[in-house]
Amino acid sequence: MALVQNLPTTRFGRMRAAGDRSALGRLVIATLALVLVFVSLFSLTTGASDASVADLIRASFSEDAVISARDRVIIYEIRLPRIVLGILIGAALAVSGAVMQGLFRNPLADPGLVGVSAGAGLGAISIIVLGGTALGPVVALFGIYALPLAAFCGGLATTLLLYKVATRRGQTSVATMLLAGIALGALAGAFSGVLVYMANDNQLRDLTFWGLGSLAGATWAKIAAAGPIIVLALLAAPFLAKGLNALALGEAAANHLGVPVQRLKNTAIVAVAAAVGASVAVSGGIGFIGIVVPHLLRLSIGPDHRYLLPASALLGASLLLLADAVSRTIVAPAELPIGIVTAAVGAPFFLWILLRRRGVLDL
Amino acid sequence: MTIVRSLLSVALVSLATSAVAQERIVAIGGSLTEIVYALGQEERLIARDSTSLFPAQALDLPDVGYMRALSPEGVLSVDPDLILTLEGAGPPEAVAVIKSASVPVVTVPESFDREGVLAKIDAVGQALGIEEEAAELAADVDADLRAAEDAAASIDERARVLFILSMEGGRVLASGTGTAANGMIELAGGQNAITDYAGYKQLTDEAIVTASPDVILLMNRGGESEPTSTDLSSQQALSVTPAAQNGRVVLVEGNYVLGFGPRTGAAARELADELYGNTVTD
Amino acid sequence: MIEAKNVRVSLGGRQILYGIDFAARAGEVTAIVGPNGSGKSTFLKALSGDLRSTGEIVIAGRDLKIMKPWQAAGLRAVLPQQTVLSFPFTVREILRLGLLGGRSGVPVRDLETLPERALTKVDLAGFAGRYYQELSGGEQQRVQLARVLCQVWQPVVDGTSRFLFLDEPVSSLDVKHQLVIMEIARDYARRGGGVIAVLHDLNLTAMFADEVMMVHEGRVAAVGSPAAVLTDTTIERVFDCRLRVGRTPRSGVPFVLPQSVA
Repeated sequence: MALVQNLPTTRFGRMRAAGDRSALGRLVIATLALVLVFVSLFSLTTGASDASVADLIRASFSEDAVISARDRVIIYEIRLPRIVLGILIGAALAVSGAVMQGLFRNPLADPGLVGVSAGAGLGAISIIVLGGTALGPVVALFGIYALPLAAFCGGLATTLLLYKVATRRGQTSVATMLLAGIALGALAGAFSGVLVYMANDNQLRDLTFWGLGSLAGATWAKIAAAGPIIVLALLAAPFLAKGLNALALGEAAANHLGVPVQRLKNTAIVAVAAAVGASVAVSGGIGFIGIVVPHLLRLSIGPDHRYLLPASALLGASLLLLADAVSRTIVAPAELPIGIVTAAVGAPFFLWILLRRRGVLDL
Repeated sequence: MTIVRSLLSVALVSLATSAVAQERIVAIGGSLTEIVYALGQEERLIARDSTSLFPAQALDLPDVGYMRALSPEGVLSVDPDLILTLEGAGPPEAVAVIKSASVPVVTVPESFDREGVLAKIDAVGQALGIEEEAAELAADVDADLRAAEDAAASIDERARVLFILSMEGGRVLASGTGTAANGMIELAGGQNAITDYAGYKQLTDEAIVTASPDVILLMNRGGESEPTSTDLSSQQALSVTPAAQNGRVVLVEGNYVLGFGPRTGAAARELADELYGNTVTD
Repeated sequence: MIEAKNVRVSLGGRQILYGIDFAARAGEVTAIVGPNGSGKSTFLKALSGDLRSTGEIVIAGRDLKIMKPWQAAGLRAVLPQQTVLSFPFTVREILRLGLLGGRSGVPVRDLETLPERALTKVDLAGFAGRYYQELSGGEQQRVQLARVLCQVWQPVVDGTSRFLFLDEPVSSLDVKHQLVIMEIARDYARRGGGVIAVLHDLNLTAMFADEVMMVHEGRVAAVGSPAAVLTDTTIERVFDCRLRVGRTPRSGVPFVLPQSVA
C-alpha cells in the first residue's frame, strides 16, 4: 500500500511518474461517464410496466409500428424526467458532499450528517405549510422557484452557521463540526416540527411524501424549477477544485499558495447550499450519496478535486439512478421511497469502509 | 341481493354492446373497493391500493401502494382503462401524469356522513355505467344509515367519546373534528370529547383528563402493535377517565369504522350498541 | 527586501507584539530567535499575512496588506511549523500544490520534473509515490519544504528577489538533515533570494544566519550579525539563563552549550 500504483504508459506513450494519479483519474472519469450512459439506458428500459423504448423508437421511424399513448406517456413523462432528475440530484448530492468535505477538510462532512439538509428541509416545509398564508408573497413573487429557493436559503443559513461555529482560525474541529451539525439539525428539525404541527391534512400528506425522499414526483416542471439551480452549482465546482486541493494543507497554507481562501469558501458554501437546497426541495432527504461516493472515489483515484469532483458527479448520478430503479421495481406496482434504498445500501457500506480503513489512514 | 344479481346480468349484456365499458379498473381507496364488490363488479377490478383490505378476496389483487404515495408507472403498469380514486389520493404529480396517459381517472369526493357515503356509491355507479344497481345499493345503505341516525336522534344524553388513533410510546394521538372518526361518533349518536382542533393530533395528559370521555375507542391497526387494556391502564391520564374506570374501552377496526362505505350503517349501529346498550337500536 | 515598521499584533485582547521594526535583505539568511512565547512565530505569521497586524509591511517595494493572495504567492513562500493534512495525498500531489500559482520561474517543460528535483534537494529522492501520512514527522517536514521550494524555485524572477519564510524548519529533524535544510536556505540566499527563518537552535543560527533579530516579550531585544547579537549579556537577559558564549577556534563563529550554564 505504500507505493501508489505506477501507471506504465499514457496515451502519449510517456512514462508516468510515481505518485501521479491524474491519468488514473481521467481513466476513471471516462469509465464512469460510460457507466452513466449505460445506467441511464437501463433505467429508461426498466420499470413496473412493459412499456418498451424499442417500440417507441420504431414507432417514431416507421409508419407501420405504433405505440400506445400509455407507453408514450410512461417513457416521456414518467421515466425520462425521472432519469434527468435522478442524474441532476445524484450529481448534486455527491458533488456537494465532496465540496463540503474539502471545505471542512474532513471526510465526514456531509450535508445530511451536519444538518444542511435539515436546514434546507425547514426552508421547504415553510413554503409547503405557510405558502398560502404568511409566505404568500414569496410564493407569488417566485412561483415554482419559491420552494427550491426557500430550501436554498435554509441550507445556506445552516452551512454558514456551521462554518462559523466549527472553524477557528482556519482550522475545523471535527468534534465541534459534528456536534454543531447535530445541534443545527435538531434545531431545524424542531422548527420543522412546529410547522408540521400547524399543517392541515393536505399539507401533511405533501410533507409525508416529500420527507421520505423520492424521485416519484419527477415532472418536467420540477426539473425546470430545480434544474437550473443545480446546474449552476455544478458548474461552479470545477473552479473550486484547485483551491480545495490547497485547502487540504490548511487555510493559511492555501492562502500562501495564492488561493483567495475567503472567496473560495464563500463560493463553496453557496454552491453546496444551492445544490442541496434544490435537491431537497424536489426529492426530500436522500442520504449517504454525499458521503459514500466521494469516499469511495478517494480510495481509488485519490483526493485531487480536479478528478474527484467530476467523478463524484458521474458516480453519484449512476448510483442514484440504480437506487431509483430498485425503488421503482422491487415492490411493483407500488414503489419504495428511494431514501430507504440509499440508506439501506449506503449505511452498511459506509460502516464497512470505516472498519476496513480503521487505523490505516487518518480519516 | 338476488335482485342486484339479476339486474347485473342485464347490465352486463347492455355493457357488452357499449364500446365505452371499462373492464380493467383500479380502485384506490378502501371504501371504493368495498363499493365495487358490493355492486358485484369485482370481475372488472384488476388492482387496488394498500388501504383496500375488505373484502378479503380484494387482498388477492395487485397492490399499487399507499393511496397518497402512488407510483404513476406502477399504476399504469397494470394497464387500467379506468382508475377510481378517493379524494386525497396523490401525490398530485402522479395523478396528473396518469391522466396524461389518457387513462380516465374518476376522483370520488369524500365526506364523513350519510350523504357522503351515498354520493360515493352514486359516483362509483356512474363511473362503472351501472347507475341502477348503484341506486339500489344506495337505497339499501341509505335505509341502514337513516335507521342509525334516527336511533341516534332519540338519545337525550350523549356519551362523550374519545377516539384514539394510536398510542405509540404512550403518546395519545386523538381525533378532533372533521375526521372520519368524528363522523362515525356522530352517526352513532355520540359526542366527540375533543372539539378543540381539526384532524388527528397528540393530546396532552391534562387535555385527556379534561375531556373526560365516557367511552374510549381504540383503533385496532390489525397487527402486532394492537393496543391493549394494559397499555391503557399504564397511561396515567387515560386510566383516570370515566371510560377506563367503568371499563368502557372499545377496540374498533379501522377499515370498518372509518371507511364510510357500504358497511358504515352496520358499523354505526354496532357502535351505538356499545355506547348505549341494545335498548336504542332494538 | 522586506521591511516591517512598528508591527503590532493582539490575539484575543492580549497584545503579543509591541511594535517590531524589521528588515530582511535579499541575498541573506535572516534568523529570528527568542525564547518560547517571545512572539517570534507570531511575527512571522504577521509577515505571512496569517494574522491581522497594524504597522507597515513592504515586500519588494509594495504594501503586502493590499496585495492579492496570488501576487504575494509569487513573492514569497511559507513553510509552516506544522501541517495537518486532511486527505491521503501522495508526496507528488503535495509538491504539485506548490506549482498552483504558476510562478516557480522554471520553463513549462521542466515543471513535470520539478517535484523530483525538489525531493532530491531535501534528500527524499524516490519518495514521490509515497503517501504523505505514512511518512515520519521529519520526512513530512522536508516534503513541505520541497513544496515551498517548488513555489518559488528560482530565487530571482524578472529582477525581483523572492523570499522563503521558514517557521522552525529544522525542529523535528536529525542533525544531518538539519544541516541539509540550512544549506538549502543558505544556497537560496547565495543565488539572490531572501530567507527569513524562525530558529530555536542558537548554534545553527550562528552558523547560517547573516543577520539575527532577537525577540523578547514582543519587542526587539537585539539586531545584528550573529557575533553581535549572541553575547553572554543578551542571552542572559533574554533567555533568563546564564550561558557562556564560546567561539570556534578558526572562524570565530559563536556557539552556545547548555553545559556552560552557570
